[in-house]
Amino acid sequence: MKHSAPRPFSLLAEVTHRCPLHCPYCSNPTQLAAAAEELTTDEWRRVLGEAAAMGVLHAGFSGGEPLQRPDLAELIAAARAGGLYTNLITSAIGLTRNRAESLKAAGLDSIQISFQADEPALADGIAGIAGHARKLEAARLVRELGFPLTVNVVLHRGNVDRLEGIIGLAEQLGAERLELANTQYYGWAFRNRAALLPTRAQVTRAIRIASAAKQRLAGCMEVLYVIPDYYSERPKPCMHGWGNRHLTVDPAGNVLPCPTAGEIPGMRFENVRQRSLRWIWGESESFNRFRGTEWMPEPCRSCEFREVDFGGCRCQAALLTGEAGVTDPACSLSPYRDRLTRFVDSIDQKPGLADPFTTVEGELVFRQNPATSRTAD
Amino acid sequence: MSAIPTSACPKISFRARVQTDPISGKPVLLYPEGVLMLNPTGHAIVSLCDGQATVEELISTLAARYQVATEKISAEVTTYLERLRERNLLELVAKPAEKPS
Repeated sequence: MKHSAPRPFSLLAEVTHRCPLHCPYCSNPTQLAAAAEELTTDEWRRVLGEAAAMGVLHAGFSGGEPLQRPDLAELIAAARAGGLYTNLITSAIGLTRNRAESLKAAGLDSIQISFQADEPALADGIAGIAGHARKLEAARLVRELGFPLTVNVVLHRGNVDRLEGIIGLAEQLGAERLELANTQYYGWAFRNRAALLPTRAQVTRAIRIASAAKQRLAGCMEVLYVIPDYYSERPKPCMHGWGNRHLTVDPAGNVLPCPTAGEIPGMRFENVRQRSLRWIWGESESFNRFRGTEWMPEPCRSCEFREVDFGGCRCQAALLTGEAGVTDPACSLSPYRDRLTRFVDSIDQKPGLADPFTTVEGELVFRQNPATSRTAD
Repeated sequence: MSAIPTSACPKISFRARVQTDPISGKPVLLYPEGVLMLNPTGHAIVSLCDGQATVEELISTLAARYQVATEKISAEVTTYLERLRERNLLELVAKPAEKPS
């Protein structure tokens, strides 16, 4: 069933899957794109130009770690030439003064730096690399060069009890925005969810602290906190609908409606090496598969919220039920809701799990890197 | 969040940029997390947020331009500014001191 495609507003350019960090909550696919498959500078330039012509106004540069691409400044300049607002989503590892200045000269508009925690040893333990001190230094450099700064901290059982300290760190760095991002259970994070999901008590406490900070810091620092969907009654309005506003291009040039859709079993996504971005967005089977509301089964089809949350997340539906085309189990109306609540209860009932995940029994898989590394271009 | 004092000078944040949308030809406000399509009223307000004029002066300018009483638009303008401020897209600058004559 084909719809006339709406206008895309934002593009996430995942320019590489290579990353110096090994965070176990990474939402990259567990099958990472090899360096040799990555789009070239010219291919990215073409993609960014096509995106601008389609009406995209916003480009996020992400990964992996986007600074691993030596041509990042050229890609940002290409996006700016098309009138896009450019945002770098980075771990800040590799953000030297030279590098930051070259990005500024290329027209980069803003920078988002991820921190793993406020406490160095814990942060380095989560990242699997001694990077916290370098991140602090890079964040100061970002402010010095006059970039807007967003601090992003992914929350999970191992760091959520340090929320006050984490908020304090963002304040100290002078960030304009703090994203307290609950782990989204896809990719590596899904594999590790038994070790990462916070308990209900932890979530209740975090909600209270985040709301107080939001009020206290209004007008100085925007604090974003969304209740993790495993603990919510309503699903998140994932990407504001499939193929509705957003597209992601992965390192190998596959075009996805969201960063994690590539892992949905049985779905085939088109590649910018074979097709134009405009065709993929408007005409491809993958982008039209869950576009609009006609694909919806019950209880979504007749639900008054169907154009509010769009049936939730297709990737989560696929991960938890094996079917991408059913209501997201994060919705309390989903017939599969018990798959989620049973899991949440199993976490909640284990004693001692409120401690950082070093005390958790079972395996925690740190994110690996793509098999081959690319020589500097 | 406390109300914006009418003596403060609003200024669009350095995080944001106004430009023309190449598709519609209309003004848009771009910022790290998103895009705000500006309607004519929004654009008129945003254009006056230069860190020089106070909220009070901004309202007078708009009232004169659209030939309406300031009381009629004051609430609408203030609400719009407060919404921008909630998204951290507005800075409030103190009125620059008048030069002594």
